[in-house]
Amino acid sequence: MNNLTFGRYVPFNTVVHRLDPRNKILMMILLLVSIFFRVSTWSTALILTGFQFLILIGIMLLAHVSFKSLFKSLSMMWILILFLMIIYIFIPNPAYNADHIAFHIGNYAVNYDAFVQAGYIIFRLVMMIMITMILTSTTKPMDLTYALEWYMTPLKIVRFPSHIVAMTLSIALRFIPTLLDETQRIMKAQSSRGVDFNHGGLIRRVRALISLVIPLFVSAISRSEELSNAMEARGYDPYGKRSRYRILSFHFVDLVGFVFVVAIFGAMLTFLILDKKYMNVDFIYWIFHAKPNF
Amino acid sequence: MAIKINHLSYVYLQKTPNEVQALHDISFEIPEGKITSIVGHTGSGKSTLIQTLNGLIAPTSGSIEISDFIVTSNLKKLKKIKELRKHVSIVFQFPEYQLFEETVEKDVAFGLRNYGYKDEDAIKKAHEALSKVGIDKSFYKRSPFELSGGEKRRVAIAGIIVLEPDVLILDEPTAGLDPQGSEVILNLIKEFNKQGKTIIIVTHDMNIVLNRSDHVVVLNEGKLAFSGTPSDLFAGDVSSYSIDIPALFSFALLLKEHGVGVDISKIKNVDDLAAQLKGLK
Repeated sequence: MNNLTFGRYVPFNTVVHRLDPRNKILMMILLLVSIFFRVSTWSTALILTGFQFLILIGIMLLAHVSFKSLFKSLSMMWILILFLMIIYIFIPNPAYNADHIAFHIGNYAVNYDAFVQAGYIIFRLVMMIMITMILTSTTKPMDLTYALEWYMTPLKIVRFPSHIVAMTLSIALRFIPTLLDETQRIMKAQSSRGVDFNHGGLIRRVRALISLVIPLFVSAISRSEELSNAMEARGYDPYGKRSRYRILSFHFVDLVGFVFVVAIFGAMLTFLILDKKYMNVDFIYWIFHAKPNF
Repeated sequence: MAIKINHLSYVYLQKTPNEVQALHDISFEIPEGKITSIVGHTGSGKSTLIQTLNGLIAPTSGSIEISDFIVTSNLKKLKKIKELRKHVSIVFQFPEYQLFEETVEKDVAFGLRNYGYKDEDAIKKAHEALSKVGIDKSFYKRSPFELSGGEKRRVAIAGIIVLEPDVLILDEPTAGLDPQGSEVILNLIKEFNKQGKTIIIVTHDMNIVLNRSDHVVVLNEGKLAFSGTPSDLFAGDVSSYSIDIPALFSFALLLKEHGVGVDISKIKNVDDLAAQLKGLK
């Protein structure tokens, strides 16, 4: 059950926790985009990605994000990883060096480059998970929705109901822990009636799942009805003007963090442009020969 | 054989900032074949305690002995966990939320089918259990979602007693029911007890403790505060446990304060008090 709670907000008091959520979302997007910049030389790509990886590890340590839950979420992903591996290995790519043959399966030659390619994409996927985990485990879900609502404000001009979207989102987020507790409660209750959620064949497991899902839906629907009645009873009007208890504010640390992330983004972008312009910027070559090949 | 609880501790979310110690090293016994109430304020660890009793959660340390079963921090050691759950069954709070089958009889039979009973046998036993909880035959083929709150709860309880557990645990069985509905449930509980079953009731209702229980356990902030008979509990100082004193006891205590010679430890109901008052000169 604990697998479901990965990336859940953990209330430490670190610099990362104190950052403005709007800023954090923007920083996350910049980092995510910069991860997917792809330079054409292997050595440079590896050094750049490794550099980003180390920075992410640093942020995780700074924000007290648990590595254990990262591993847990990765262990849930092994099917995806396997799938990627298979795709990269069995789909021929003309860019692979024809001399780098690892082994043959029948008549099909498996290239070393395919493994490197798959490893590289998985590595970047892991970094993506790290970034989103840093965001969700250091930011309260409510703050996230406020930040999203703030970003959606300009859409009000075209009559986009940004408040309703944000409210729906925040209610959905608010109910995740409640529904998780409810799930656990029903699972325990059904286990008391001899349901085994972890063992048995497919039919048994589906049957066990039905005994969980139906009560969960019944209670979720009745809860939502209660909530909407309670909101209406207190005069909720989705189109009304309202003030806010918690005001988001941008501090000096936000500026520092933002500049830091923009610097990373800028550095990656520079390498990308250099790479595209001059083709094959070899970082290793730069370091050891000090004579750039352009 | 009594249920023995030895140095039981339980910590939620261990090694996180949200860590909460729900139970602190508690040891006591729950007598066999009796009705035992577990009381305490919200968050005192009652629910945690009952969940460890049938191995739904593993204690952080300590152990529980229930006949042949020993529940310890390593549940994997306990091979017959499904057997334990049949032996010790829990009726959770608001059990009506766990109903899900198309018909009442199917829902009650569901537990039995998990234990490998054939459909016909399970349905037959389900009918017996339903008649025990006083559900009329006309309801058997109806959807459980059409029933009233009290009826749903009785159906849910039937779904547990159909497993014929030796120890039946009920978490606030009367919460949210009207007085009549509560009475029906409490009488049912008494019936099961008469058949020799050990009953454990988690409750906030001190009248249940006083009138329906043989033994009472008080938890306070995860620690054992009291274990003994209800009369002894109310005769002592309960002010620090945040539990109500039943009206009868408040009255008897007032009488005692005013110099009337009543023996509070011997009072269990109005008749006892009346008898004592009659005996006074």
